[in-house]
Amino acid sequence: MRGGGYFKTTYAADLALVDTRLRRRALAALVFLLLVLPRVASPFILDLVAQTALAAVGALALNVLTGLAGQISLGHAGFIAAGAFTTGLLVENGLRSPLIALPAAAVVGAALGIVVGIPALRLKGLYLALGTLALHHVVLYACAEFQNHWGANTGVSVPPPALGPWVLKGVVAWYYALTLAAALTLALSVNLRRSRAGRAWMAIRDREIAAESVGIDVARYKVLAFVWSSAITAVAGALFAYHRAFVSVEAFGFFLAVEYIAMIIIGGLGSALGAVLGAAFVTLLPHVLDAMVAGLRLAGGAAYYLFPLKFGAFGLLMAVFLLFEPQGLVGIWRRVRNWFALWPLRYRPLRSAS
Amino acid sequence: MARLTRLVALLTVVALAPPAAAQYRIGMSAAITGPASSTYAPTYEAYKVYFQRVNDAGGINGQKVEIAYEDDRGEPQRAAANAKKLGEGTILMVNASTSATYKPFMTESESEKIPLLFGGGVCPREAFPPASPLIFCSTSFGSKWDSRFALGFIKEQSGGKKVKVGFAAQDIPLSRIELEFAEQLAKEMGLDPIPVVVVPGNTPDFTPFAQKLKDAGAEWVLSWALWHVEVGVFEALQRIGWPGRYLLYGHQQTQDELARLKAPSLHAFGGNTLFMENLPIHTEITGLVKGQTTHPPHYMAEGWVSAMVLEAALKKCGWPCSRDKLAAAMAGVSIDTRGLRGGSIEWSADNHYRKNTYYKVYRWDPARSSIVSVGGWTRLEIK
Amino acid sequence: MTQVLATTVVVASLYALLAAGYVLVYRATRVLNLAQGDMMTLGGYFLFLVATAAPGEPARAIAGAAALSALAGFLIYRLLMRPMAGHPIFAAVLVTVTLGILLRAAIVLVYTDRIRHPLGLLGLANPARPLIGGAVVSTFDLFTVGAAAALFAALFLFLRFSPLGIQMRAAGEKPLLASQRGINFHLVFALSWALAGFAGALAGILYANNVRLDPSLGVLGLKAFAVALVGGLDSLGGVVPGALIVALVEVLSVRYGDPLLADVSPFLCLLAMLLVRPWGLYGTKEELERV
Repeated sequence: MRGGGYFKTTYAADLALVDTRLRRRALAALVFLLLVLPRVASPFILDLVAQTALAAVGALALNVLTGLAGQISLGHAGFIAAGAFTTGLLVENGLRSPLIALPAAAVVGAALGIVVGIPALRLKGLYLALGTLALHHVVLYACAEFQNHWGANTGVSVPPPALGPWVLKGVVAWYYALTLAAALTLALSVNLRRSRAGRAWMAIRDREIAAESVGIDVARYKVLAFVWSSAITAVAGALFAYHRAFVSVEAFGFFLAVEYIAMIIIGGLGSALGAVLGAAFVTLLPHVLDAMVAGLRLAGGAAYYLFPLKFGAFGLLMAVFLLFEPQGLVGIWRRVRNWFALWPLRYRPLRSAS
Repeated sequence: MARLTRLVALLTVVALAPPAAAQYRIGMSAAITGPASSTYAPTYEAYKVYFQRVNDAGGINGQKVEIAYEDDRGEPQRAAANAKKLGEGTILMVNASTSATYKPFMTESESEKIPLLFGGGVCPREAFPPASPLIFCSTSFGSKWDSRFALGFIKEQSGGKKVKVGFAAQDIPLSRIELEFAEQLAKEMGLDPIPVVVVPGNTPDFTPFAQKLKDAGAEWVLSWALWHVEVGVFEALQRIGWPGRYLLYGHQQTQDELARLKAPSLHAFGGNTLFMENLPIHTEITGLVKGQTTHPPHYMAEGWVSAMVLEAALKKCGWPCSRDKLAAAMAGVSIDTRGLRGGSIEWSADNHYRKNTYYKVYRWDPARSSIVSVGGWTRLEIK
Repeated sequence: MTQVLATTVVVASLYALLAAGYVLVYRATRVLNLAQGDMMTLGGYFLFLVATAAPGEPARAIAGAAALSALAGFLIYRLLMRPMAGHPIFAAVLVTVTLGILLRAAIVLVYTDRIRHPLGLLGLANPARPLIGGAVVSTFDLFTVGAAAALFAALFLFLRFSPLGIQMRAAGEKPLLASQRGINFHLVFALSWALAGFAGALAGILYANNVRLDPSLGVLGLKAFAVALVGGLDSLGGVVPGALIVALVEVLSVRYGDPLLADVSPFLCLLAMLLVRPWGLYGTKEELERV
């Protein structure tokens, strides 16, 4: 990763996630920034950050499956819906505590992961993507049936989560809670990558036959990837339900699944940092476009056209990104870092393998 | 990374921009694009033209009305973000979108104590008596009352006979629940209901659904859904030679579509007067929106009424106007709709829908080769 | 019962036109074109465009719209998909998603979201046609069936007998060998995209006249996935039985089951096929190993 001349001398240093002084300082600065942000930013900005954090949880979960294990899933929105509806169902039946809902969502997600993961062993690439897409539709159908049986036409209300006397309510509280959730998921996914399972996943992703020949139980690890990914995703769904205070099947359309795929590909496939950056990109882009045209005053009916224009610009920017930055946001990040690392010498650094 | 930094910087600048000078600040979220937009985008356009005119004439109580418009595409996720954004520094939020966007707006309204006006989408339960203090609705269609009127009309048209009534719903919760209610109600009213047929919005062919209704022997079919489903089922029924009569809720497209289909058995009911009646207000609106909107003038009725109500409420609130004051003012608003509706819209402390609601039915008359109304206005008292 | 069969054939024809687009593009480039449904919508709006310019001339309008759509297919390949060569397949698939967004936005920019009916502009009518056995279909239903039959017959002849068609088949079956024999890949790919645009446009043109035209028609395209996969993603011949199966299950579930199942039934077919025979009815088995 870094230039030569820098060696680790202890086992602890080798294990540390944040291993250099610069990184420690950068991390401390980031934590500080996130802590003080509520003092300076408006509730809307805080809500955007909270949304990004929630999206990052989902994107990190998908990254485990697609980025690390190489299994493409278009059913991500279905898993999120499963988590959200589990929460809705529990709340509807009087079990309001997040201490029940979050683990329950994880269990439902994990179970769904097994249900999908085992048949998925036969499928690869686009066939797998289509299979998970079909599953997405089946899950949504089931959720819609649930919703109609509850007689909840505009969705099920979910009261704010409470632990004893302490109620998670308000923009600032949610900002902290979701940022913390994203940080925990980030730590989990970075550690998963370093674990035995993570190495097995990457081996499977890179060359399945080679992985099998060095003794990796391909079937087991593939299913395990589905289980991990969908469990975390379902928890993200439960958090979504609590955060937005409602569950409704319309919130989990096919486009949501595509957005998550876009997050990890635009961020940079296989990288946890990429998943977070991608989540920020896809979540914030529409709002950035809003902000850019907010000052424009168009006469007459022309103002209407700004709205489809913004929608189109969203698509266009994503396309441009995919066409011209195949390494994703994390690729840009690496280039910038290399530039600083090599400065003042200027030569093109060798491409890193990932 | 540099790009990202710039984006973040831009966001920050926008967030920290100083608030504009004192004026009535209002936020509106509508499904301006997205699959449902043909029903909701006209409301946004009507608001725009209406308040442009109000501001050009010097505003209300000497103050300009500043409305921030956001597109939610009819998606709850975007609506939630819009609610947060529009809830800042405004005295009222307006929602003109699909029912899927209601929950996030109601949550925001409740937590920020900001009044919420539904100005283009179906009226939610909370606006009917006993109304929740911050929820108001000016839309011409409201659940349950629409079914009450429609079934009453069917009963009257069939001379009190026990006719077989079929129901064509769309696979969105709102439409299903409404027509399931109607099915129940029909039984109580002495009609002979057939179980609701639910139609997926993106079906390639409506024939099998129509066949189901025909085979069940429906003499009347009631549909209450998005326009393409309402009309899709009707066209399929017509094709397979169904002899019965069809009643649907008339959205903005009604006038064009009745003239396109030229089918005497197709009845459209609704709360707005069609522009083909050529009332003075219709001519006025047509003149005002010319070149200002992408939709034709007769799509504007729904939004125009809503904007009229809002103007009256702001006038009543005076200046300065706070959220509490506005909510109180709205609870006592009463406006003359100048013929756009069958009567006035009156809100009271516990009724934020309206005291009386009016319905009219239109259909195509082949003899006169024009759209005609079937009877006059029917008044229902909301209790 | 005859009505069920008639409706099944009509729906299957529509699905087959859409699925042909998926299969053509997939065979050539191994990319799944998630914008196929939006290319169908585009075809419908091209018809509306030509019909507005020259009202009352249906033949010219339909030919013009189909030609424009084929051109659009080619341009999409040239501008968006060709630069994606060599990128991960899924990035290319994602590009087709963004293409769908772009097409929808462009349509709304030009024509807004209003529901359109080009039928009147063309000066045509769509009367009901009673068939033997008491079934009734619309005139454009019959055209849809005819168009699907004609397209598949033409594709069959083209791929079997014309030199270019044989090159396309070769490129689809063994890309490496084909390239070594000097087959012009870019031509084959561009042609595949143009043909996909053409097939999608046929579906869009017919649907716009038969039912309606609005910018979100593209969702129908998702169902046609199931058709392509049931038949075999790389098999054009498989599309026909695939379409018939999916349409039959859909129509039957409306008629005799829960109408709500109609929306998921294509995906249930897809799942069933993936479990039993993942490569589809007529797909190549090695295909699964290769991707």
